[in-house]
Amino acid sequence: MTRLKRDPAAQLSLEGAQTFLLGLARARGLELEVFAQREQNTSVSALKGEVTQFQLSTQQGVALRVLRGGAWGESFTENLSEAALERALDRASENAELTVPESGAALVNWPPAPALDLSGEGLSGVTVAQKVAAALELDRVAAGADPRVISVPYGGYSDSVRDWQVANTGGLERSAQALSAITEVYPLLSESGQSKMDGDWQFTREFTQLDPTRTALVAVERAAALLGARPAPSGAFPVWISGRAMAELLGLFAPMFSGRMLEEGKSPLAGRVGEVIAAPGVTIVDDATLETGLLARPFDAEGCPSAPLTLVEGGLLQAVMHNQGTAARAGVDSTGHAKRYGLGGPVGVGHSNLFLRPHAPGGAAPPAAFSGIQLLGVSGGHAGANAVTGDFSLEASGFLVQDGERQHALDVFTVAGNFLDLLWDVRWVGADLHWTSLGTGAPDVLVGALSIAGQ
Amino acid sequence: MLDEALVAQVLGAAQRGGADFAELFVEDRVNTALRLHQGELRDARDGNLFGAGVRLLYGTQVVYAYTNDVTATGLLELARQVAQARGDAGVTDAGGAGGLDFRRVDVTPMQVAREHPLHAAKARKLALMRRAHAAAAGVGAVRTVDVTYLDMVQRVLIANSEGLWAEDERLSTRIACTAIAQEGTDRATGSSNPGAGRGLEFFEERPPEEIGAEAARIANAMLGAAYAPAGKYPVVIGNAFGGVIFHEACGHILETTAVEKNASVFAGKIGQRIAHDCVTAVDDGTIPGAWGALGVDDEGMVPQRTTLIERGVLKSYMVDRVGHLKTGEARTGSGRRASYRYAPASRMRSTFIDAGDRTPEELIRGVQHGIYARTMGGGSVTPGTGDYNFAVNEAYMIRGGEVAEPLRGAALVGNGAQDLMNIVGVAGDLHLGQGMCGSVSGSLPTDVGQPHILISEITVGGRA
Repeated sequence: MTRLKRDPAAQLSLEGAQTFLLGLARARGLELEVFAQREQNTSVSALKGEVTQFQLSTQQGVALRVLRGGAWGESFTENLSEAALERALDRASENAELTVPESGAALVNWPPAPALDLSGEGLSGVTVAQKVAAALELDRVAAGADPRVISVPYGGYSDSVRDWQVANTGGLERSAQALSAITEVYPLLSESGQSKMDGDWQFTREFTQLDPTRTALVAVERAAALLGARPAPSGAFPVWISGRAMAELLGLFAPMFSGRMLEEGKSPLAGRVGEVIAAPGVTIVDDATLETGLLARPFDAEGCPSAPLTLVEGGLLQAVMHNQGTAARAGVDSTGHAKRYGLGGPVGVGHSNLFLRPHAPGGAAPPAAFSGIQLLGVSGGHAGANAVTGDFSLEASGFLVQDGERQHALDVFTVAGNFLDLLWDVRWVGADLHWTSLGTGAPDVLVGALSIAGQ
Repeated sequence: MLDEALVAQVLGAAQRGGADFAELFVEDRVNTALRLHQGELRDARDGNLFGAGVRLLYGTQVVYAYTNDVTATGLLELARQVAQARGDAGVTDAGGAGGLDFRRVDVTPMQVAREHPLHAAKARKLALMRRAHAAAAGVGAVRTVDVTYLDMVQRVLIANSEGLWAEDERLSTRIACTAIAQEGTDRATGSSNPGAGRGLEFFEERPPEEIGAEAARIANAMLGAAYAPAGKYPVVIGNAFGGVIFHEACGHILETTAVEKNASVFAGKIGQRIAHDCVTAVDDGTIPGAWGALGVDDEGMVPQRTTLIERGVLKSYMVDRVGHLKTGEARTGSGRRASYRYAPASRMRSTFIDAGDRTPEELIRGVQHGIYARTMGGGSVTPGTGDYNFAVNEAYMIRGGEVAEPLRGAALVGNGAQDLMNIVGVAGDLHLGQGMCGSVSGSLPTDVGQPHILISEITVGGRA
């Protein structure tokens, strides 16, 4: 019998790579976790009735964590040759030797994960022509919806099918798949020398549920509403925060609820579990099992099963998010919030579908005679929001409102405050949940005062 | 990285659907990331990014596909798919490409190392990090210190159907220190994160002690500081990373990626005055060892030093291949992408406001009641409107021409087209600062830079 010699440079399949790595680790007596991922994407952009960019991709790779003497070491590779995989294992092992042991760190063979349907009917029955048609429709409808539209520079159709697996030498082996189809569009409108841009997007797990016409019309309506803007006043004002802006803020300050940030002394919520931290109307939930949510997943980056987690209930801080290690050190169970920030990122703690719970239908009516600032959106959060202190100062868009009537849009202005103060100051919570592309959601909320700077 | 016959075969197969132009980009990148928390190594990670992308142009229409399977089989399959994609997306023409006789681009790598990060032991990198930690830990009210070390070595091959063949190696090293000062419940953060397109010898010029000390200095200075006021004020903006204002307010809308879509207020304004005449601004890909330097851009063109604005007059955009096709402006070697996962787009490299003839002290003396924004964080811009923001991390009041009490950070916001006219004074102390810029072709290392500048009026997002 001839034994075939394998080419060390030949690329293995993703499954083959995982098996090869676990086998190699076992042979060397190493504790190893392998996170393997394959993603296929299509995206189409159109401008002025023509497809400007069409993109297809297949991307795969493996991320490794070796546990050695109670310390983690990490590596990742997109080169799936045996030589590259062995190098990645060597690197992760070397890194584990260098890092300090973290008490409680362990590879766990978790109980089964919930069954979630994150793929719907799939994309195999959807033709490229249908995807192209969706991008063209976004552009055509947005361009024709209002004579003041001067360009539709950003937007398009994109989809993704992501398959991922987590396995470890402790015997854990699980896999999942999620599909997403997204349309988004940002028309640019101009009138009397003033240019304004805003947009809308739709995320779904079923291609047939996409409605590009509606997305385009909403986008144009939003951008058009910003025309005729006048300078914003400066001062402290009551603020009606749109669900979209509130969800953006929640996303910026989500790290406050991370067990990792708490244990490293980087969250103002450290030592405050069990305390009231917000107004009674504030309930914040993270639910990875919400199938319609962008960040739904049956298990986390360590394979721990997902379950809904109430962080804040009626203003009371009940829990924070944990992965295996932070939970062990805090003396609680993992909440299933281990998160990888990309294949090449570290395993940390992060939210899934995180939202401020809306008021039940039929709840308190919105105040009829609101006067103040209606905050539509915020930007610049990567630099203007500090999750260590809770302070924020952000570029904002919105309107001046007097006695319940929208007066006019506002030129670029800022909104500043502290997120925890804001949660205390919530006077009313709306009934409709708005989601951001960061996987955070919120209804409209009314707060007593935030600082506004304009002229 | 690959042999010429295979590359020619891939480009030929990709062009079979009648594309005017085909391009192959191959990338093999390794990186290391280490994080010290309170002096202990908590995270250690190595990575290998490995893949290839094929771009086809049909007129100005771009079809792009990429894969991790960088074998002959994988690349030819990629070429087949990308050629077919156009057929699915629209018209397929007859024709194809013949053999290619590649011309090698004479590339002088702009990022070279004396102490190469691939050959340095992690213990050496850790020792540098510990020096930064020691310089910050326990200084004043500093209670928490994180130090991150990052290095990256990227080898690229760019070949196209015009017979171009270019290879380049880019490399970089960076140390970032974040300090948190605390007294009672009051907290303040400070950070410093210099990097360079050089090896570990960079930290001889920028000793880690300086990095740690700077982070601690800012955190301590901001502890107990009042919030900045809200409203419009004259502002003196510090040098180096202060250049983020030009990057956001102006840089992005001078990229043809925005201009070609009519999403720039500066479209069609070459030759016109768009800034005060004290402003000359440059985007330079040729500074040896710079964070944003390139031997060749990601379309295989040797970059240039591009004067964007000269004494207030718009001279050039930053132009990539598609930008050239759409606007007619000459390419400037500005085609960049974060990785093989992106088609290239026109992007900034090392972008700065050039030195003027004032001094920082003169600029501050000229302000009766305003703000001195000494160190800056990141920012963003909406290209279509030019509305932008950036964060000030360390600020002071200016009273009667003197730097007065410290102020906590705040966002500064404005509109690029208007605010360029409000830059009324430029000092001579030009320095560059390093950032990661996120845009259509991913997150890229870019330098921002400027000397101290005076803005006559800008909105300060403080507390009322």
